[in-house]
Amino acid sequence: MNKVININFQGRILPIEEQAYEILKQYIDSLRAYFANEEGRDEIINDIECRVAELCEERLKKGAICIDASGINLIIDSIGRPADFAAQDGFEQANTTSSNTSDSAYNSNDDKAWDSLPPKRLYRDEQNKVLGGVCSGIANYFNLDPLLVRVLWIFLVGVNILGYLILWIAVPSSSVKEVGGVRKRLFRDIDNKVIGGVCSGLSKYFGIQVWIIRILFLIPFIRFVINFRHVHLFQFWDSPDFPNFLDFTFSPGAIFVYIVLWLVLPEAKTSADKLEMVGEKVDLNSIKNTIQNDMEGFSKRAQTWGSEFYKKKQTTHTGNVNTSDKNTAADSSTNEQNYVPQQQNKGCLHFVGRVITVCVKVFVYFVLGIIGISVFGALFGIGVAGTSLLPLRRFVLEEGAQSGYAFGVILLFVWVPIIGIVTALIRKIAGFKKANIWVRSSFWALWILGCVMVVLFINSLGNSFSKHNTPNEQSITLSKAKLDFLELTSSPKMKYYENHWFQITPFDSYDNEDTVFVRNLRVRIVQSKTDSFEVKVVKLCNGKSVQEANRLADKINFSVSQDDSLMYLDRGIAINKNDKFRNQHIIMTIAVPIGKRIKISNNGWRQVNIRLNHNGIQSETINGINDGWYDEWNEPWDNESYSFERGVEYRMTATGLEKIKRADDELNNNDSDNPDDIEQKLQKLKEERQELEQNLEKTKAEKLQELEKIDRALDKQKEKAGKFPEERKDKKATVPTGNQLNTVTAAASKLADINWVLDRFSY
Amino acid sequence: MDIQNTQSQMRKGVLEFCILSIIQKGEVYPSDIVEQMKAANLHILEGTLYPLLTRLKNAGLLNYRWVESVSGPPRKYFVLTEDGNKAFDVLLKTWNEMTGAVNQLTQNTNTISTTEVNPTS
Repeated sequence: MNKVININFQGRILPIEEQAYEILKQYIDSLRAYFANEEGRDEIINDIECRVAELCEERLKKGAICIDASGINLIIDSIGRPADFAAQDGFEQANTTSSNTSDSAYNSNDDKAWDSLPPKRLYRDEQNKVLGGVCSGIANYFNLDPLLVRVLWIFLVGVNILGYLILWIAVPSSSVKEVGGVRKRLFRDIDNKVIGGVCSGLSKYFGIQVWIIRILFLIPFIRFVINFRHVHLFQFWDSPDFPNFLDFTFSPGAIFVYIVLWLVLPEAKTSADKLEMVGEKVDLNSIKNTIQNDMEGFSKRAQTWGSEFYKKKQTTHTGNVNTSDKNTAADSSTNEQNYVPQQQNKGCLHFVGRVITVCVKVFVYFVLGIIGISVFGALFGIGVAGTSLLPLRRFVLEEGAQSGYAFGVILLFVWVPIIGIVTALIRKIAGFKKANIWVRSSFWALWILGCVMVVLFINSLGNSFSKHNTPNEQSITLSKAKLDFLELTSSPKMKYYENHWFQITPFDSYDNEDTVFVRNLRVRIVQSKTDSFEVKVVKLCNGKSVQEANRLADKINFSVSQDDSLMYLDRGIAINKNDKFRNQHIIMTIAVPIGKRIKISNNGWRQVNIRLNHNGIQSETINGINDGWYDEWNEPWDNESYSFERGVEYRMTATGLEKIKRADDELNNNDSDNPDDIEQKLQKLKEERQELEQNLEKTKAEKLQELEKIDRALDKQKEKAGKFPEERKDKKATVPTGNQLNTVTAAASKLADINWVLDRFSY
Repeated sequence: MDIQNTQSQMRKGVLEFCILSIIQKGEVYPSDIVEQMKAANLHILEGTLYPLLTRLKNAGLLNYRWVESVSGPPRKYFVLTEDGNKAFDVLLKTWNEMTGAVNQLTQNTNTISTTEVNPTS
């Protein structure tokens, strides 16, 4: 019982047995190969096909219900096979059919031709090519799947054009496809499939048991699912390396690979495919075993094919040698003779032309490839980043539509084109036919849907952030505002986990599942108009509407506590899942009076932005409802802002903040100074001390002189007045020295500092 | 010496001439050509004939027209062109000369039996 198919052959419907169809197809293919270089090849083949159709029609008319294998073989025999053309030059042996003679003549060669494959040559497979057929040729030579060779090529040789070019030019192209060689191709095994037959196909190709491959695919999937349920960032990112999303062994990337393979690999439909999948010789003996049918036509055909081609190769060789000699019938054989030299001439020009076309092709492919790769890389980056940020989505996105849009964006807009592009590439490389129109259009439809999602998502997200609250400045009262020195440090109350790898501002640390801390804190340092420290805080927030923004702003919980000269600030703003992240930030203004010092400690303040505007002089208060706020926040601040060092004391002077170079700071911060610099500094300090001492001496001397003057004046007055000399002396003594004492004490304190430095240094 | 090869060379030599002769007699289908050749005891494969006809047509010696047929696809109906006729005349002359020469040469040879002249039958 044989399957019969209908084929549209030369404009007529022909019922033909499947095996017979295979025979016919192979015959036509062999004709194509044989006439590959003939000028009117297509016409010839068309004629022959017509003749075959005619003969088939005759058979059907005579009463056959369909064309079976023997029938098609008879027809083909009467027309002749390529080997007959060459070997017997188109002339049948008188009174015998060619098939019989070929049997008798070839029987002796039979075994030799079939068992010992003809000497293999490396050629380029023109029929199976992507670029130049180099990898196909290599695959044929080694009996591998061309896809495997191509992938290996890329891995081993890289995108090394030069090697490929050399092979492309040097290796000749194939004119005859080897039929019957042992080829192994990668298919999807539909008969043994669970989901898509990918694992079965792979197992058949590599010869591994199916369950092993299935487990390999499933392990990462299970692990992925388990991990995902926790949505616990740290467990996810525990590995020290970058968690490679495409880690093929144990990662969710395996799903990706499975989907790609599912889409790309063809199904093993025909019996020939199935045999190729397992890698057996496609000849009768193996087919018989698998299908259990009467296949005598097949076996004969396979044998004759193999031996014919072998014979043909030999005779064409000798035939060419003979025609190159000038021999009989000069004119009638001119056609034959002309044929050979023409081909040779064509060869030279052909070669140059081929080189040029190869170069141009390569260049174009290269440029397109780079563009494609960069686009693809960008998409892939977005995809991975987006997917890996998914756990954080609850803090930013509202439930419902917005989350839905976000998912839609990532899935449809980013991953669908990635998968589509990858599969299209692999199909092209493997030489598979393009995906059918449904698959392609559904990919496009999904991607367009993804584009729509992007628009909706951006719209929705923009809405959530559109309005911002009405800011008002709140002062924080300091106990003991008249400090000399204020140090800002982080609150030790909360435990923070510093996440060294995953730092995407603004999300910085992850306390527990419900809260995230955001370091949206900016500190402005300005000059105080009074002589005490002032701290003001403004809370800012965005939201869907102004009320929403105000509500969220009120919820911002930022505590400041003071302990003498240490001010503890929260390290970040707590954001929980219910009140989403809506760009909450805090601007803190610290007004430093002139002469006082401020220091911001090193603990964990690295990420906080500290801005100084005009060296801290400008001290406008921040109270504006208008968009001036945004400008304030985003204003291009001085470059001074970036040089505000942590852990260094600054003093506010009339002209702005100045760094105080203290010994311990210098020791801490300037470790890399060479001894010369330290020497210099030492020198400077010594000079300064001397100056100050001199100044002090001078002022002391001046004061003494003035005091003496005053004494003399008083004495004189005493003499004049006579009665109250002491009181006047006292009064006049205290008043003038009051101010002078201040300057003297200032100078003295500076001198004390310098002495202290020098003491430290002189060891 | 490969006698089979020589034989095939001899046949190859006259093949085109034979075809031209057949067509010269009148318009024919390719299948008719095969028939006539068979009748003349020169068996030719259609697979050889079609390429040959195409070559001759491309060389300008033949022309064809399509003829619809009830049973089967349309078929080509071949005829000689002017050049074809000229070529035929030239070849006929050559053939006559050659047969004359060969006959002359084989006249006095010792032939054993005519059947042995075709060892491949």
